[in-house]
Amino acid sequence: MRVGIEVGGTFTDLIVIDENIAHIAKVPSTPGQPDVGALNAIEAAGIDLKNVAELVHGSTVATNAVLERKGGHICVIVTKGMRDLFALQRHDRTSIYDLKYKKPKPIVNRQDVLEINERMDADGMIVQKLDQIELAELIKTITANQKYDAVAICLLNSYVNPEHEKEIASTIKQMAPSLSVTCSYNVSREFREYERASTTALSAYVQPIIEGYLNRFLKKLEIKGFTGRFSIMQSNGGRMPAYAMSKNAIAALYSGPAAGVVGATGIAGRIGYRDIITLDIGGTSTDVALIVNGTPDLTPLTKIDGLPVRTPVIDIATVGAGGGSIAWVDDGNLLRVGPESAGAYPGPASYGRGGELPTITDAHLIRGTLQASSFLGGTMKVDMEAARSSFKSMSAHLMMPIEELADSTIRIAEANIVRAIQQVSTERGRDPRDFVIVAFGGAGPLHAARVAEELDVSTVIIPPHAGVLSAVGLLMSDYVHFRARTERTRLVDSSVTSIINILSDLRTQTETYLISEGISEGLTFEHILEMRYVGQAFEVSVTLGEDLKHLTIDAVSKIFSEAHHRIFEFSKPPENPVEIVSYRVGARTKSAKFFTPKDGLDGKTERTPEPEFIEITEGGEQIQCQLMTRQLVSGEGSFGPILIEDGTSTIYVPPTWSALRDDANIIILKRGK
Amino acid sequence: MALSSVDHAIINRALIAASHEMGSKLIRSAHSPIVREAQDCSAAIINQQGKVVAQAELTAIQLGSIAQTLAPCLALFPAETLRERDFFINNDPYHGGQHIQDIFLFTPIFYNAELIGFSASVAHHIDLGGGAPGLNPYAGDVHQEGLVFPPTLYNLDHDWNGGPLERFIRANVRMPEATIGDINAQFAANLIGAKRLSALVDRYGSEQLSEAMDAMLDYSELRVRNAIRNLPNGTYCANAAMDSDGINNKPIVIRTQVTIEDNNLEISFDGTDPQVGTNLNCPLASTIAAAIACAKSVLTDSDIPFNDGVGRVIKVSAPFGSLLNPSSPAPVRARLLASHRVFNAVMKALAQIAPDKVIAEGFDTTTPICLSRMEGNNYNIYLEILGGGYGAGNNNDGCDGVDSPLSNCANIPIESLEMDYRFLRIESYSLIPDSGGGGMYRGGLGLERSYRILEDGTSFATYSDRFDIVSEGLFGGKPGGLATMFINRDGEKIALSSKMGCDLQKGDLLVIRTGGGAGYGDPEKRSTDHMDLDISEGLTSQ
Repeated sequence: MRVGIEVGGTFTDLIVIDENIAHIAKVPSTPGQPDVGALNAIEAAGIDLKNVAELVHGSTVATNAVLERKGGHICVIVTKGMRDLFALQRHDRTSIYDLKYKKPKPIVNRQDVLEINERMDADGMIVQKLDQIELAELIKTITANQKYDAVAICLLNSYVNPEHEKEIASTIKQMAPSLSVTCSYNVSREFREYERASTTALSAYVQPIIEGYLNRFLKKLEIKGFTGRFSIMQSNGGRMPAYAMSKNAIAALYSGPAAGVVGATGIAGRIGYRDIITLDIGGTSTDVALIVNGTPDLTPLTKIDGLPVRTPVIDIATVGAGGGSIAWVDDGNLLRVGPESAGAYPGPASYGRGGELPTITDAHLIRGTLQASSFLGGTMKVDMEAARSSFKSMSAHLMMPIEELADSTIRIAEANIVRAIQQVSTERGRDPRDFVIVAFGGAGPLHAARVAEELDVSTVIIPPHAGVLSAVGLLMSDYVHFRARTERTRLVDSSVTSIINILSDLRTQTETYLISEGISEGLTFEHILEMRYVGQAFEVSVTLGEDLKHLTIDAVSKIFSEAHHRIFEFSKPPENPVEIVSYRVGARTKSAKFFTPKDGLDGKTERTPEPEFIEITEGGEQIQCQLMTRQLVSGEGSFGPILIEDGTSTIYVPPTWSALRDDANIIILKRGK
Repeated sequence: MALSSVDHAIINRALIAASHEMGSKLIRSAHSPIVREAQDCSAAIINQQGKVVAQAELTAIQLGSIAQTLAPCLALFPAETLRERDFFINNDPYHGGQHIQDIFLFTPIFYNAELIGFSASVAHHIDLGGGAPGLNPYAGDVHQEGLVFPPTLYNLDHDWNGGPLERFIRANVRMPEATIGDINAQFAANLIGAKRLSALVDRYGSEQLSEAMDAMLDYSELRVRNAIRNLPNGTYCANAAMDSDGINNKPIVIRTQVTIEDNNLEISFDGTDPQVGTNLNCPLASTIAAAIACAKSVLTDSDIPFNDGVGRVIKVSAPFGSLLNPSSPAPVRARLLASHRVFNAVMKALAQIAPDKVIAEGFDTTTPICLSRMEGNNYNIYLEILGGGYGAGNNNDGCDGVDSPLSNCANIPIESLEMDYRFLRIESYSLIPDSGGGGMYRGGLGLERSYRILEDGTSFATYSDRFDIVSEGLFGGKPGGLATMFINRDGEKIALSSKMGCDLQKGDLLVIRTGGGAGYGDPEKRSTDHMDLDISEGLTSQ
């Protein structure tokens, strides 16, 4: 028996696969103690933990620790003169006309940043040695009063030569063995001191929280008889054993969206689609990602709460468009949607939890594209009148009938979603028409066809259990570990050996690490170079094949030039010098057999009522629309307009689209006849 | 077919997204640190009539006057004579440009041979010739500051990619690879703008697009008028001053009159001091951009798209021959110093009617640090912009250690700098405690950056301000700390002036300390929580 549990902001989703039959459960999250919600889900699904061989877990614990500033109490050791690295940041502003601009709040207080005399130069040569007496004094200050949970170390140019970071770490280990230490060369061995320091500090900051949470959760599982493998999702789309994760906590940020992407990629791959755009629409936001040839793009830098995190993360674009996004009119009389959201509480006006502002969910109810019966399989009451009255004042102000206003609201929201997809496709030099959209999350399948139309995409795939696909993705994920290093290398024929050596070295490191964590079978490797024309400051990621032996400079140069052209619309003639800035290697092992579970259907969806006809307002028109369940969608194809109630989500098939259901219970929407 | 308001909203966002993409790709493909790290550049999308409809909001001083830079080009080479692959270039401070280093490139965009608009980009170029590498602090006229490109029409096929214009530039600048690389990044940004605009015509048709662009201008205009409508009619006057012109030890004063009449705003600078012999003169385009940037920042929400609709509401003028509208060939390199005092003066005038929206004076002095050295037969030029503390507002402390309002340069990471400039090592980069002016809310702190010089033959040049005249507080707030620069040479401290250049020696430590922002409100009213926090963080000593 294998179980995936994904803790989201509002709901905790669970999927269990037992003898090739899938069952799902969805229970409210318990934000203060996420493990309680997870255990509730296990209970709701009626799982006996003694029989669980494998449990994969994703949660927002790390993310929330940062957003709510509830991490450990840390101090950071930096090179003399650099105490204000965290306050100065990058010296620019993200909003140029905001006179009252505030920088993102640093994760570490100024008084907890401690300087030490030492210096490396850009070649890694020691300019000033560490002074042992000064170091011992510093460590005494740190350990006095047991003030700190953890220490982070980030010294200038340590990415070239980490000797001093290592020396400080080992002295701390001797003097205060119980104090946890995080070194920047271990977390992100790449240049740009602020980004590396921020990543290192964040890692130290969330580490005690993740470790505490995982230990607590595991203990509770063990009390109930769990003896299986326990692993955790990472933001790069792979997983790690739970005990390894507690040592590399920063990798757990944004694991939820990553799990969805992995699930979508896996399911689309099973029916032969390897170039896809994932569209995950939830309660507060929409996440989209682009996958070429079955591999999600990774981005080396992301941000949390305005703070940079330099660890490979699936390249996901997020816009504030979800069921709870609020519609409003600005003082130029333009209709806007989001980014403000009513969230889970108070939620949309129709939820009757005190929300009065008009949201996308309310707009769907008014249009008829969500039926009162479709909320949590009809178990949740919604208030249609409250939905209508939330739009009343705007309707009067814009002199637009309520149905038309609701329809316009959704068109604007869909335009915002289109923009997010363009960000990961057109802006990265990819033509969305070469892709299919895989839609999931509670509302993804409801908007997917119209969003696809705007992008001229003609195929949309809706996986089974689309509303809990992140949990499904947990069970489809591989074990993955990345290592990176900055080392500037000119791309000339004579450098081929050194390139191969660096990559092989990183490869050995990832391999050794995974083996030390008990993972060894069937490893595959990804080799990525961060490259640029000499003189540029930003790198283009270039992915090489797995075989390094036959690597040639010409081949690397060609892949780089193509990638540069795709993104920037130009590349330079071959005589222009090119350099590698960073090397990145990922090791991966297929941990999970591909499964094709049959639906357990959970009893309540077994009813297969006859389709009925309802009236909806959509695309500026009033139309008659069929309402049915997934089981009624045939293999031959049914023509829209159809609204399909699918348990965890609702699918909309517009008039010029058709829907068919294949053997694996996947619904495929096609545009045109 | 008339455009629905929903289509309008959708195209509106698409144009803004396109201009942002232009800006980010310009930065990411550029070569010199001043563009790629410091982000001293901007980009815009312009309609057929030459009006800016959407901009990448990167550097305030480069926005707000792009249409004025394009206009002289179109006057000489009318739109109907333009062909595919043509482009305009203009950096002429006396024909709509700003300072020589900011090259504006405009690309006409055609769809089935019909002109549908222009894409524009501007970037600060590291070296365009002139009397010294990177920055000539003693230029006596604009010609000593670098190559002037008057408003001119060229064609990519004929003049670039090895053509005459590229060859000419390459031969006349000190770091040709960086300059040509940055210009290519500008062309790439313009090409992206063209692609995105064409895609919108594919989807909506050229008439609808043009209608949507007009609607965008109307929309911004309406929102700015709505913001101004509630202010009391009248004329409000204020002054701001720079320390000196770098030669005569006497303040240079900028005087403004801000007039509100219903929903119109007029900003004039009558009585401002005459132009000077040094590089502090501020071309009219920079004056306009600075004044509009201030009014927009104070009076409107930051989500109003900044385009020429804003310019319909806010009119700016400055007397010819004054510091803010100089006559050729006065040098203009340091125009951002005067631009910031324009910003300060307009802010102080608006403080009289919108006290809750303004902030006190900050350091507000874009301070370039130019360090250059001959390495073999090649120049290596380091140029970085330093800011300081922001002024405080009615409910916030000023931002600490951040670039000044009209520029928005990121720092160059120390690890990147030390890779590229082997003759430098950074020994400190820190906030200066107690440099923020006291107040109910305190001013932001200035910053210190110090450079150890590792090789002989290194030259230094800069221009800065607030070495003598402090940033002024509002409503009882105290002034921020002054800026200083000095060299530590063999234990001796050599003080430097704010506008200067000199040679440095191996072993010198060049220390730059920028000024803090002023406070807002009576310091006696500062909350003890705020005071305690500052003391525990070591940002203030009492």
